[in-house]
Amino acid sequence: MTAAESRATVLVVDDEVRILSAVQRSLRREGYEILTAETPAEALAILAERSVDLIVSDQKMPGMSGLEFLARAIVLQPGAARLLITGWTEEVPREEMEALGIRALLPKPWDDGQLKQAVREALGR
Amino acid sequence: MSHSAPLVRIIVAQPRQRLGSPGPLGGTARVLEHLGREMDIAIVHDAETCLARAAGAPTDLVVLDAGLDAEGDEILEALRASGPPVVVVTDRPDDERIHAAFRNGAADCVAAGQDYARVLPIVALEQIRRWRETVERGQVEQRLRDLERLGDAIVEAIPAPIAVLSADGRVVSANPEFARAFSAPLEAIAGKRLEHLVPAELFESGVLRLLIASASRPGGGGGVDRGTVGRSRRFDVRVRRLGERSGILVVLWDVTERDQLAKRLADLTRYNENVIQNLNSALLVVDRNGAISSANQAAESIFAVEPGTLRGQLLWDWFPGTPPERLLVARTLADGVSHRGAETVITRRDGTLIPIGISCAPLTDAAGERIGAVAILQDLSEIKELQRAVLQNEKMASIGQLAAGVAHEINNPMGFIHANLCQMAEYLTDLRRMWEEVGRLQETIAGGALGEIRRQSVALTELARELDVEYLVSDFGKALRESQEGSERIRHIVQDLRSFSRHDPGERTLADINECLDSTASIAWTMMKHSVVLRKEYRDVPRVRCYPMQLKQVFMNLLVNAYQAIQERFGQSGEIGEIRLQTGERGGGVSVTVTDNGIGIRPEHVTRIFDPFFTTKEVGIGTGLGLSTSFSIVQRHGGTLKVESKPGEGSTFELFLPLAAGEEAATPAGGGGPGRPGLS
Repeated sequence: MTAAESRATVLVVDDEVRILSAVQRSLRREGYEILTAETPAEALAILAERSVDLIVSDQKMPGMSGLEFLARAIVLQPGAARLLITGWTEEVPREEMEALGIRALLPKPWDDGQLKQAVREALGR
Repeated sequence: MSHSAPLVRIIVAQPRQRLGSPGPLGGTARVLEHLGREMDIAIVHDAETCLARAAGAPTDLVVLDAGLDAEGDEILEALRASGPPVVVVTDRPDDERIHAAFRNGAADCVAAGQDYARVLPIVALEQIRRWRETVERGQVEQRLRDLERLGDAIVEAIPAPIAVLSADGRVVSANPEFARAFSAPLEAIAGKRLEHLVPAELFESGVLRLLIASASRPGGGGGVDRGTVGRSRRFDVRVRRLGERSGILVVLWDVTERDQLAKRLADLTRYNENVIQNLNSALLVVDRNGAISSANQAAESIFAVEPGTLRGQLLWDWFPGTPPERLLVARTLADGVSHRGAETVITRRDGTLIPIGISCAPLTDAAGERIGAVAILQDLSEIKELQRAVLQNEKMASIGQLAAGVAHEINNPMGFIHANLCQMAEYLTDLRRMWEEVGRLQETIAGGALGEIRRQSVALTELARELDVEYLVSDFGKALRESQEGSERIRHIVQDLRSFSRHDPGERTLADINECLDSTASIAWTMMKHSVVLRKEYRDVPRVRCYPMQLKQVFMNLLVNAYQAIQERFGQSGEIGEIRLQTGERGGGVSVTVTDNGIGIRPEHVTRIFDPFFTTKEVGIGTGLGLSTSFSIVQRHGGTLKVESKPGEGSTFELFLPLAAGEEAATPAGGGGPGRPGLS
């Protein structure tokens, strides 16, 4: 695979801009193209425009929860892998998560290595 | 005229011409002069003067000169019935004249002869002695008659049945009260036996018979013997022996009513005492000077003193922290008005402080004269403790509602701080590699081999490129700043939470209402920021003496309610609600208004929303105590809390806090509720 071919696109969605910045920092060396969105609406707009390989979404967001957002995202990009970040992992219903094909739940605050690992696995690498 | 009076008064009545005339009669007055040590001898010449004098003052003797003829007869006639003795002296002792004199009432007659001066004094003395005896006996008899009449009057007038019995037990006489009491006509009483006149039950106990028998014994029963007899009616019996001949005095005093009254009084006193002593509330009775005249057990236990300690003490001495004139009891003593429901704190002898509620009422006697005051004291320790617990619970409940929002607020910065720290640790590793490379280059430069220097310099540049040092250094700073900002955010949230969950100190403090409202709003904001726009319209307001933590709780309740009303109206529609917070100064106080554009309150609920446990929220969402607690907190501050609402459009809660809060009113514990606010 060439470098260009291997460059995966990751969309990170969180209403907290500092979180976006921290995720970007964590994944910088991983060689992904990282897109960010501060609201689910903004993220859905991006998904309508571009193809992404992985969506990393916060769960608690104004207007729309992470699960709701991911459910809509499936419609737009069924091929994209999905990861959910939440401070309340135990509150996310397993069935719903499995139904949405969410690969992993990432706790907030997350461990840097954990995030990189989860993203790699979600991208099948 | 008394026997001991030394003065002897004699009137000598003789013709004027007799004075200075020869013969014994002319010296009559002189002859009498030596009859006693003190003599008052008046010489008169006519009947009128003589009689006037005899009537004017007690006179022992009139010596009448027969020479006065007709005048003399008049004198004799006038004094005959009740006057002093008249001794007639005459120088013509013919039988006829003397005879006429005796016939006209003369006591004696002395003829003027050779022994006139010897005989007259003897006759005069004898007559004076007899006269004085007669007068005295008359006086004694009169006195006896008076006494008898007095006795009769007394016996008749006394409202107690009195009878005099003969030695054989028959009634000699009885007074009208006796006749009335035992329904026996007065005239039919005499001669009857006492036991046939009075109810038989009076003789049942045998006491009456015993008393009468004792008084009947000759020589016995000198004093009054007494006892009580009767069942249906009670009689106090007194029996006294009046003398060997006069019989036995029996007084039967009906004391049924008196005994009943005495018993009722005793019962009532005991009843009152029981009620007072067993009251749960502490009761103190003070006299006009504030001295405690009565204190029940509850009062003694409030003050933690031994029984009987409080009595006689001045009330003020037990409220060392309060100036006497500010004590409610003192006010009642001064103005005679009842005061209720003030709260104060007392210091017990052991130094412990307890909160109490006082109510006070004036105490008057039967004539309406103010004689003191009654104070009821209620130990509020438990109530206060419960109040505090309710407040705290309510606060904890609102914190519970906030918890999710707050945790989210904390978790976000925690998330990126944590990630940044990991990243910064990586940055540091990279920088350390750079620094090692720099160190090697320096060594080579020191060695001076140019080719080697060049080679290493290139390696350094490559490493810098590989590590993207330029980005790394700038992003290191950015990560640091963002993390600092994040930790600052956490610090604020924790601070706000802490300030909200603190207890108030026991007393009021001066507080800035804007600050109280704003710090509460910033905690509430964490919960509502995604669905609400908060508009703050604060004006400068004076500081208010208050319980800041309690007010923050009120604000929190109002904010949470506003938020919930907005959620109910807009739900998940994504529409943003609005809460407006306004403060301002008006009418001697500070007003705080919380306006929302939420679902509003149904008209039938508006009057109930301040009632305890009233809630329209689902189980688990509200305790139903929020607004009720808020209302009592505002009341405690002497303020008002009003609501205006349009269903479907929103509500406005307006809170007013007076700057000069009066004496605290006792908060009703339980019953009655906090009352109904009016719609303004």
